[in-house]
Parts: sequence; structure tokens; C-alpha cells
Amino acid sequence: MAEGAITRPAGLTRRRAVRRARLPRVSRWQAAPVTAALLVFSGYPLVYLVGLALTESTLARPLQSWVGSDNFRNALDNEIFTGSLWRSTLFAVLAAAGQLVIGTGLALALAARARRLGLLGGLLLLPLVTPPVMVGVAWKLLLAPVGGAVNGTLALVGLPAVNPLGDERGAFWTLVVIDTWQWTPFVVLLVYAALLGVPEELREAAVLDGAGHWRLLVSVVLPYLRPALLAVFLLRLVGGFKVFDIVYVVTAGGPGAATNTSTYEIQRTALESFQVGTAAAETLVFSVMVGAVATIVALVRRRAVRAER
Amino acid sequence: MSQPLFRPGTSRRTVLRGALGLGALAAAGPLLAACGGEAGEALDPTGRPDLDGVTLKVLVNQPNAGAFEILRKSFKAETGADLQITPVAYDKLLAKSVLDVQSGAGQFDVIMYWYVGLGTLAAGGVLEDLTAYIKANPDIDTGDLLPSIYDPYTLYEGKRWGLPFDGDTHILYYNTELFERYTLEAPRTWEDSNAAAEKITKDSRGEHYGVIIEGQQVPIILGCTFANRLVGFGGRFLDEAGKPVLASDEAVAALQSVLDAAPHALPTPLQTGFDQALPAFLSGKAAQLEFWTDHSVKAQDPEHSQVVDKWDVVTLPVGGSNTKPATSLDAGFALGVSTLSKRKEAAAAFVKFAASKKQNEAQIADPTSGSDPIRTSTLSAPVFKKSFGRAADVVAEGLSGSPLVWPNGPKAPELLQVLVDELALAFQGKQQARQTLEKVHSAWEKELG
Repeated sequence: MAEGAITRPAGLTRRRAVRRARLPRVSRWQAAPVTAALLVFSGYPLVYLVGLALTESTLARPLQSWVGSDNFRNALDNEIFTGSLWRSTLFAVLAAAGQLVIGTGLALALAARARRLGLLGGLLLLPLVTPPVMVGVAWKLLLAPVGGAVNGTLALVGLPAVNPLGDERGAFWTLVVIDTWQWTPFVVLLVYAALLGVPEELREAAVLDGAGHWRLLVSVVLPYLRPALLAVFLLRLVGGFKVFDIVYVVTAGGPGAATNTSTYEIQRTALESFQVGTAAAETLVFSVMVGAVATIVALVRRRAVRAER
Repeated sequence: MSQPLFRPGTSRRTVLRGALGLGALAAAGPLLAACGGEAGEALDPTGRPDLDGVTLKVLVNQPNAGAFEILRKSFKAETGADLQITPVAYDKLLAKSVLDVQSGAGQFDVIMYWYVGLGTLAAGGVLEDLTAYIKANPDIDTGDLLPSIYDPYTLYEGKRWGLPFDGDTHILYYNTELFERYTLEAPRTWEDSNAAAEKITKDSRGEHYGVIIEGQQVPIILGCTFANRLVGFGGRFLDEAGKPVLASDEAVAALQSVLDAAPHALPTPLQTGFDQALPAFLSGKAAQLEFWTDHSVKAQDPEHSQVVDKWDVVTLPVGGSNTKPATSLDAGFALGVSTLSKRKEAAAAFVKFAASKKQNEAQIADPTSGSDPIRTSTLSAPVFKKSFGRAADVVAEGLSGSPLVWPNGPKAPELLQVLVDELALAFQGKQQARQTLEKVHSAWEKELG
């Protein structure tokens, strides 16, 4: 048998045998810290969460009595929570898509300008390094209907006042804009780094074949970047699902329930209504939904990677 | 080469090991949760602790932090004991105190609580039963505590869980300059108030707003706005038997009244919380504001107010067929002893000290305390008249009467969240007043059984 060849035990498919051969092997004691960490930080919370979801649990008295699926029924009967699932998905998709488009555009512009980001890169990072709570406070002050900077400026130029946080659509879109403002620089950085990895010879070959800037972008650069772009999209999609700080500070889920995302609603159920059992059920439902959406994007990305190979 | 820990594929042994591990974790969950809440030794009702050198850890409502600084000095001077004060935002007070006990941290000896959380704290084992302590200490003089607040703040399932500390109520502030400019009388009914709001907002063409409707979707803000009209129209949250009465004609009329005022209010009610409402009134931008009594101090402070001597107060107006004014117990705080305190007798001694006649008057005398009367004797004390000025009579009238009591059982936080969620939908125009309150009524009935 040649050196390095894979021995395949009986009953094992070739694919499994290859995967098994590639697995890094560590001793039990070396793996113990990781195993313990997984049990403490993932296993225990998950088991406890499931326990809460299946029992009558309040903040003061968790795990009182077995209630089966009642908490799940309460969660799914609650229009505010089911509405929040849709709102969270819409928010995550719109924000991630917006950030990807704008971020990619900016990254392309920066890459066309120079191979180093320099001072501009530092400035770009400013929204990213600002604490989300401060971002929320700043935007809230800017958009205050009375005494806000935006309306003050509009009044100076004789335009009527606006109050985007006062109506449902305006408030929702304002949050999308704020999230986009904060996280687009992150996308810029990642896409910029990916752009640096586009082989120069590929560009040169395309140019020799007569491709212009647009054709180069559409037929060479973007297809090459597709897996990276989908990975960035996935990252920001999950980030969008997790949004909490700016909702808490800017709109507190309002007006009405217009910006009540699932994370905010779960917090309200657990820490304002103290219905910890229902909040645990909501968390599990939300996790399944996020997992499903993220899996779809991950599958699309995997297909793109395979296609590239 | 050593054996790999994880092998591809699953053996029966792996499944058994995994199941055992998960079972152990599942068993550990309740155990860990239970061991968190181990109570300290029971409170000795007749115990006379040596307080000299003791430091008590006190969880307080952030706006009352100043009051506890005053208390800290006088408590130290009288007993030698010190206080370590932890201020927390009003809407996080309940969760913080529950989690402190539930997690087993036991960071606090004394807990300040909004009376709406009384049932949650008592049933959840967070507060020590003070019934025997109060009986054993007649110098507490419970007969002097305002009857309108003593039971709602401290009585749950026939036991006393604390002593009142801050007897909060709302009154209606109005800008006298704006009312005079538009030839309006002080509002005695909610219909007057709404008419004044409409006139000022329309006639001033956006320069001023006739009223501030605080509609942020949290119980202590939007809940107060509704409660003030509810009591004015003669409605109640619960009847004597503790059953909801929110689908009543009085309640519907009250909600309709506040919805009618919304178009003439500072924009926009659902966004308006304390941080928008107070500057709008103190800058003279808005003409009417329902707020707590201690706001009168700030309204007369030139550093904070542009309406010094340009405001007045009235008791909460009446509405519909109701002609008897009453106030609503909006907010209102008491002090209790944490079940995890290691110094329960000392903590109880401090609670008694803070609720004493002398300290209540000392609090009232200091405009920075943010405290309100809790004793009948305080209402007739000269210091109360001096401190509260023109608001004194209105406050005394409200606290001496039969104010609206909010739910305070174990389900109260959930009930109030349902209420404000539905009220917000009504403000958005998504449902009518009656439909809103019928939904709330039905949800409350389901919760309360």
C-alpha cells in the first residue's frame, strides 16, 4: 500500500473513511478543557433552557412544575411574538443585504484607489468601534421630534419637520439605517481583504481578452468573491437577528410593536413580565428559525464554493 | 499515537454516555437553581441588634438615591451603622432584586420595591415576612401610616412584607401663562383638559402643545397615563374580589378620553417618556403634564425651569359621570428585608428607621430627596406645607382619599405589560377603545383565573 493511502475498514464508505482520516487526533486529557467548556457554556444552558421551556417558570421561581408544550403554545399564540419573528427576519435580511451592497461598493472604490486603507480606513472604523448604546442615543437625539438636530436643520432651511420614529414604517427603516450605518464598515473591511486576494493574473487575462471595468467586475471579480460575499452576508444576517441594543435605546420596540424584534420581545417576556418559561420557549423557537435561515444561506455558500472549485 | 477522543460514527456506548451526561446536567439544573436561593437565618422579631459598625447594603430606586444619602447620614449619627447604596433604574428594580435572591448572590440586605412587585417578591421568597416584627415594634406606629398606601404597599396574603417609604401619586401641572393667554380655566374635568389641549395646540400653530401624553410602552409611563384617566372616570383595575373590571364603561370612556387628547399632544405620545416630557413642560413648550408631586420642586428651580411661578397644580380631573376627584397610586415604593440578608435584624431596624415620622419629615424637608408623605402626621406637618407649597393641598387630598390601586399580586408585571401593549395598539389606531379593553380584560381574566 502506498504511503498516505487511506485504509477503509469494512462497512465504512470511502467518504467517511476520508473524513475520519483527516480528523485531528488528540488525547482525552488534551480535549478535556474544551469538552468541559462546551458542557458548561453550551450543554448546561441548553439543557436548562429546555427545562425552563417545559415547566412553569417565573423569574423568582423557575422549574416549578411540568407543563409540557404549554409555554410553546403561549409563545405561538402571542401575536406580538409571532410578529416579532417576521420582523426580525425582515430586519436581518434588509440590513444584511444593504450592508453587503453598500459595503462591497465602498470596498471596490477603496481597492480601486489604493492597496492600503490608511487614514480613511481608520475613519471608516469609527461607527464600528462606537458602543451600540451610544449609537442609539446619538440617533435618538438627532431624530427627536422637538429639539432634534435633524428637525432643527430642516427648520433653518424652511422645510417641514419630520418624525420618522413616530410611525411604524419610519421607525423600522430608521433602525435598518442605523444598523447599516454601524456595520457597513465591517463589511467593507472583509470585502476589501477578499478583494486583495483576487489573483492579478486573472484580472490581466480578462483585460487582455478585452474586458472593460464593468465586465471585469461582473464576470471576474464578483464571481470570484461570491463565497466570501455569502460568508459576510451570513455573518451580518446572524448579527441582524441578534440586534437588541439599538431597539432598546431608540424605539423600545415601538411605536406599538412596529420594531419589536424577537430578541427584544424575549427580553420583555423574561425580565419585564417575568414569564421565564414562555421566554425560554420563545428563545428555542427563535433559535430554530435563525438556524433554518442561516442553514439556507450556508448551503447556498457551500454550493458557490463547490462551483468555484 | 494516543486514542482519539471522538470517533466518527456512533456506538451504543457513546449514546449511553451522552444520555447519562445529559441526564446529569438536567438533574443539576434544578439543584443549581435551588441552591441559589438558600435563605439566611429567620428574622428575630424582638431582636435588638448592635448596629455600631454594621454596613447594610441597600438596593434603591435611582431617583430616590438622594433620599438615601440623607438617610445614611442620620442613620449613622443615630446608630453608628453605615449604608452601602446601590441605585438602580426604576424599571430594573424588581428584576434586580429577584435575581439577587434567585441567583444566591445575596448582595442586598434591604430592598426598595415598587409596590406593584409586592406579590412577585413575596411569593418568590425574595422578601422576609415582617408581620411579627411590626407587631413586636409598636413604635413603628402603623396607625399613623397613610391607610391609602399602607396595605397596597405591604400587605400580601395577610402578611406584611415591608414598610412604606415613598407615597407617590400623580397630580396635573399646568402652565398658568399659557392658560391665561388662551383665556382658559384650570382644568377640573378631563373634558376641560382635552378642550384646553386642543385650543392651545391649534391656536399656537405648533409653537406650543396643549398637553403632554406620556405614552412610552412601559407600565410606569403609559400605565400611569391610563390610570390617571381611569380613576378620573370612576373606574378601577380590579374589583374587591380581585377580578378585572377593565371592560367597564368607565374604563372605556377613560381610554377614549386619552385617545381624543393624543392628536393635540406633544408629538408623538408613543415616543414620549420622562426625558421628552419634563423638558417640554419646564421649557414652557407644553401646557399640561401629569406627573409626580416632587416635580413641583424642579418647576420652581430656575436652574432647571423656565416656568418658575408660571405653573400651578390641580388634583387629577374627573370625567364622565364621576364627580368625585381621586388620585392614582402611580409608582410608590416600600422597603423590605431580603431573605438572603445575613443581618436581618439590622436590616429591619433600618427599614423601621426609614419609615419613621421623624425621617419622613426630614425627607420632605429636603427638596432633593424626591420623597413623598407616607404618614398622616406628615400631611399636617408645617414642613410639608413649606416644601410642597401650592401642591401641598392637592397631594394631601389625594393621599387622604381613596386612590386607585394598581394590581400588586404575583402576576402584576405580566398584567401590566399586556395592558400597555394593547393600549399602544389603540394609540396607533389599530383598535378601538372598547375592543382594546375587552382584550385586556379577557387576558387578565385568563391570567388571574
